[in-house]
Amino acid sequence: MRNLWLIIKREYLERVRTRSFLILTLLLPGIMTVVMLLPAKLATMGDKVQHLVVVTSTPQFGEMVRQRFLSPSTDTDDDEDANSGANAAKQKPDQKYVIDVDANPTEAERAVLRDKINSQAIDGYLWLSEDAIASGKVTWVSRRMPYFSERSRLSETLNQVIQYERLTKHGLSGDEAERLLKAIKVESIRMERGREAKDSGGGKLLEVVVMVMLLYMAVLLYGISVMRSVLEEKNSRILEVLLSSATSTELMAGKLLGVGAVGLTQILVWVVMAGVFALPAMAMQPAFSELQIPPGVLVAFAVFFLLGYLLYSTMYAAIGAITTTEQEGQQLQFFIIIPLVLSVFMLAPVVRNPDAATMVWMSMIPFFAPVVMYARIVVQTPPLWQIALSLLLLIATIAGLLVLCARIYRIGILIYGKRPNLPEILKWLKYAKA
Amino acid sequence: MASISPPIARSSSPGATSSTAGTVELRNVRKAYGNFVAVDDLSLSIQPGKIYGLLGPNGAGKTSTLRMIIGIIVPDLGQISVFGEPLQRTHKDRFGYLPEERGLYKKMKVLEHLLFLAQLKGLSGPEALKRAQSWCERFELNAWTGKKVEELSKGMQQKVQFIGAILHDPELIVMDEPFSGLDPASTVVLKDVLLELAKRGKTILLSTHGMDQAEKLCHSICLVNHGRAVLEGDLNQIKAGYGSCNVQIKYDGDARFLQESRLVQSCNDYGNYVEVHLAPGADTQELLRLASAGARLSKFEVMEPSLEEIFIAAVSQPAVSQPNA
Repeated sequence: MRNLWLIIKREYLERVRTRSFLILTLLLPGIMTVVMLLPAKLATMGDKVQHLVVVTSTPQFGEMVRQRFLSPSTDTDDDEDANSGANAAKQKPDQKYVIDVDANPTEAERAVLRDKINSQAIDGYLWLSEDAIASGKVTWVSRRMPYFSERSRLSETLNQVIQYERLTKHGLSGDEAERLLKAIKVESIRMERGREAKDSGGGKLLEVVVMVMLLYMAVLLYGISVMRSVLEEKNSRILEVLLSSATSTELMAGKLLGVGAVGLTQILVWVVMAGVFALPAMAMQPAFSELQIPPGVLVAFAVFFLLGYLLYSTMYAAIGAITTTEQEGQQLQFFIIIPLVLSVFMLAPVVRNPDAATMVWMSMIPFFAPVVMYARIVVQTPPLWQIALSLLLLIATIAGLLVLCARIYRIGILIYGKRPNLPEILKWLKYAKA
Repeated sequence: MASISPPIARSSSPGATSSTAGTVELRNVRKAYGNFVAVDDLSLSIQPGKIYGLLGPNGAGKTSTLRMIIGIIVPDLGQISVFGEPLQRTHKDRFGYLPEERGLYKKMKVLEHLLFLAQLKGLSGPEALKRAQSWCERFELNAWTGKKVEELSKGMQQKVQFIGAILHDPELIVMDEPFSGLDPASTVVLKDVLLELAKRGKTILLSTHGMDQAEKLCHSICLVNHGRAVLEGDLNQIKAGYGSCNVQIKYDGDARFLQESRLVQSCNDYGNYVEVHLAPGADTQELLRLASAGARLSKFEVMEPSLEEIFIAAVSQPAVSQPNA
């Protein structure tokens, strides 16, 4: 115990005292903010106002398309007063588009519009002739490809307008037609421990993604650090001196815990920084203020994050133990990245159906458990025995891997040069008994 | 001094293989790596308070033997006991180890590094600090204690490593090639420290391929070659065992002592200088008394075979030779 504590302390202080730790800790949040905000900023920056022309034989029809396209009814996101017929009017019209109505669907007009697009007088036109509507296929001609969101917005608009037209033609009043066209909205409610919890699926996914991101970052930053320091000890031959005082298991465990504590310190600093700077801003956003994380999930987060971090760091340590140079080690990193990436692929299916048999089994496999089991807990608390079993397997794997690593590590003093192959590693494990 | 004293006189425990438990006892130890046998059926006994030399050419199995003694690697066969008990993990705090390939954390400061090593051996922080400072003074490192290890020269790093091995005042000090890479001045300091430690009752085990050094420093030796002990035991006894001893005498006067066939087997007389080949079992002191009775002696030197000669002679013999068994 004395040795373990000394080794943890040494590993921890050696890293925390460096200038690079300080710089990384202070700068990374800034860099992350920029990285996260920049793409969104860039995506909207290039957007100019789009000048479109709706070409149709009936001006009223064109006008309706124009209005609905500019102020789409938002019954998909809006809970209340969706029944108000004046809903559309209450919305601010979209400022990103200018739409003219052209009541002359002739070939000559089409040529004129084409020229206008070429001369950049307009950005595009919608060809809504009687024929086109009857065929159920209309064309949007423009200088740039319309975004996916624009296309679906247009087709929704057209469907509504055309149905409205058809309904009123059959003698319904405008209000009646409007009521018939009102979309049905599904509200999902999840039962959690006997209570109804309004499920904002996005929030759940966010919780899991935050965990995965943190795990990723911690593993990549500090896993490599573990590997590097194992290699350093082997190559600088200090290992032999240390082994005359401590066991290789103590050394390995001390290193993992020490480096682990460094990572946690960094994350803690970031969390505090986020609390001070970002939370006030976030609180303004309704999406975040709604996000309430139950304490059980926080505990699960801490436990699975720590264990995941330990597991993957141990794997890095193992790589450090069997290689002799960092380049070699980086080639083998592959074996660590693969399970991490696979867990990320499993996120969507887990959140969708956390109780599927495959997911239950995946959450038992130690390499996926930190992400998959945590995701399951976030979405819907699984049976206690499953959580317990998953934890047990995870801890056993970490312990087993640690002992294995320690053995390989100790044998590492005997070899130089070439990387051992599997039979050789197995042979070493035999020598390293006791 | 050594040149006149009889071989037996210095040995305190003649029977190295007798039941007296040494600080370190190896019995029929074997260690193989795959097909390569590094140490084969090695037995040795290291008496407390002595300097013991493990000698042999490169690749003879010295380092493997030392690693087994401090418990870094485990023998395939045979027993190792230290301080009279089978080797255990709890013994680690009573060892000081200097590996052949020196290694320190390059980014650590010298003093911190020493404290870390000493605390791993169970020394308290303040005590370690006090001792580290006094040792650094002795090795003229006190200007460097706040520097990072990587800023030190190779030789200075060696000294730091050496201090790290003895800071906790271990009962058994195991050093693999302690003198390699040291300048002459540092070699002298290190030798003095080792002798001083031995005088204070510490047992010192060192390996070297420099026979000269071992011959001057060690009380007992084990010569290993290809993983096997070629010779083991008290250095003087070994020499006596190989002692087809010659004595060189410069004299003036009566040369009748050369006729004493009980002592002199043959001689090569130049008139006032003679090389005497002693008879088996002859006592050099008796010859000295006899010679000085009739002649004036200006030189009387017992020409012992050098370790190197012994080693070469022993290696050319097929079986393990234990002269004191």
